[in-house]
Amino acid sequence: MAYCIGEIGEVPKGKALIKEVNGISVGVFYEDGKAYAVRNLCPHKQAPICKGSLCGTMLPSQPEEFVFGLEGKVLKCPWHGWEFDIQSGDALFGISQRKVKTYPVEIKDGMIYVDL
Amino acid sequence: MKDSFLLVSKCILSTIYFKEDMEVIKMTEKNLEKIIDADIHPWINGDIEGLKPYLSKAMWAHFDGRMRLPDHPLRPPLEKSTSIRLDTIPPGGGAGGSDPVYMAEDLLDRYNIEHAILSSVQAGKLVSYPNPIEATALASAFNDYFLNEWLTVDSRYKLAMCVAVHDPLKAAEEIRRVGKEKGVVAVFMPLFNILMGNSYYYPIYEAAQELGLPILIHPTGTEGGFSTSVAMAGGVPRSYIERHTDFPQVAYGNLVSMVFEGVFVRFPKLKVLVAEFGYSWVPSVMWRMDQNWRNFRREVPWLEKEPSQYLLEHVRFTSQPAEEPEKSKYLTQIFEMMHADKTLIFSTDYPHWDNDFPDNTFRHLDEDLRRKIFYDNAAELFNLK
Repeated sequence: MAYCIGEIGEVPKGKALIKEVNGISVGVFYEDGKAYAVRNLCPHKQAPICKGSLCGTMLPSQPEEFVFGLEGKVLKCPWHGWEFDIQSGDALFGISQRKVKTYPVEIKDGMIYVDL
Repeated sequence: MKDSFLLVSKCILSTIYFKEDMEVIKMTEKNLEKIIDADIHPWINGDIEGLKPYLSKAMWAHFDGRMRLPDHPLRPPLEKSTSIRLDTIPPGGGAGGSDPVYMAEDLLDRYNIEHAILSSVQAGKLVSYPNPIEATALASAFNDYFLNEWLTVDSRYKLAMCVAVHDPLKAAEEIRRVGKEKGVVAVFMPLFNILMGNSYYYPIYEAAQELGLPILIHPTGTEGGFSTSVAMAGGVPRSYIERHTDFPQVAYGNLVSMVFEGVFVRFPKLKVLVAEFGYSWVPSVMWRMDQNWRNFRREVPWLEKEPSQYLLEHVRFTSQPAEEPEKSKYLTQIFEMMHADKTLIFSTDYPHWDNDFPDNTFRHLDEDLRRKIFYDNAAELFNLK
């Protein structure tokens, strides 16, 4: 069932609009014209992960080399720094099999609808 | 469940040795278990004086009577303040470990050791020297001494050739000079106060990998005692009991450095033997590395898998001094946690005071694990199959 949780203009740049829906804390990020909805719960230590940032990370590289990428595609937990693919919820680069719960989200007439 | 004590006992036979003329020279009990001893310590009487035949005329003149390699001021509280057992002094005199014929009788024959790896702690003292020309010349002299005066005496001796890390390019040259000699099975790398992940050491790793020789690290006895040698964590220990207890921290820091700096990504065939630094801490370092990798992978994006996997693939540990936990079952648990079936290698440390021997070490193990620790893991590491 889709719930309207607010206007797209309420989502801060690089941060989440966090709302409670049916007792579940959900965060919505909006980056480059695309919205992402994520359960506000890190599977590692139950941190409020949506208080973290949507950012990029270092891609696999050779020793002593940094290659930055996936900008705006990485959800980084504010506690231990675990990084997840904002789209799929998968932990990045095999650091864990645990996932962040993601939800389908739609923008209609500037309003955000999350399907829980 | 098999009782390993009984198994070992079944392997003990009374054996009579004959010379070619059938003269009985020795009657003893011989343990038929196959054993590789990964860490024994030869000694050269007189330090630099004993190396004279292997030093150039110019270097001999340079040393000009300066013959002693320095001792750490914190000595073991044992008779004569030496770490070498006084009951290993050869019949002809000199320090314990200075006579290859006597050591063969007293160690190799007695315990039926098939191969024993010589690593010279005496050569390890070179890291107390600030001068790279001196250290490099002495390392070469040590290597030539052991090649000529030990490996020719008994083919059971194998050499962990020494390098002076003072000049890594010269050290790499030395590995390429000596590393192909028959019986050379490892590179003993006495450490400076530079962590092993640092690119400073890369020429040494490159040469060792090229020749298929594992890097062997071992306490040099200089730790915390000299400005160039490894510093101990937190400050300077004030007694032998402190510095000896603290040895594991040196290996701990260096392994973390190697793994995270990507040494095993850059040198995928490189192996490391961590000798005499203990091992009960190995589960801890694996867990902490993996935990922090999950948190901060972005700092080391060159790692392609969990840090502990690099350790399990590339690093081995010697057994001496065998750890003595409150309950022996804890040791079994640690073995499981550290994957001892792959990572642990038996060593005696003969002729040092804290040496272990096959008949008093790990008697509780099942036959399969004991064979891996006492032979198979070392045979694979040193390519002695």
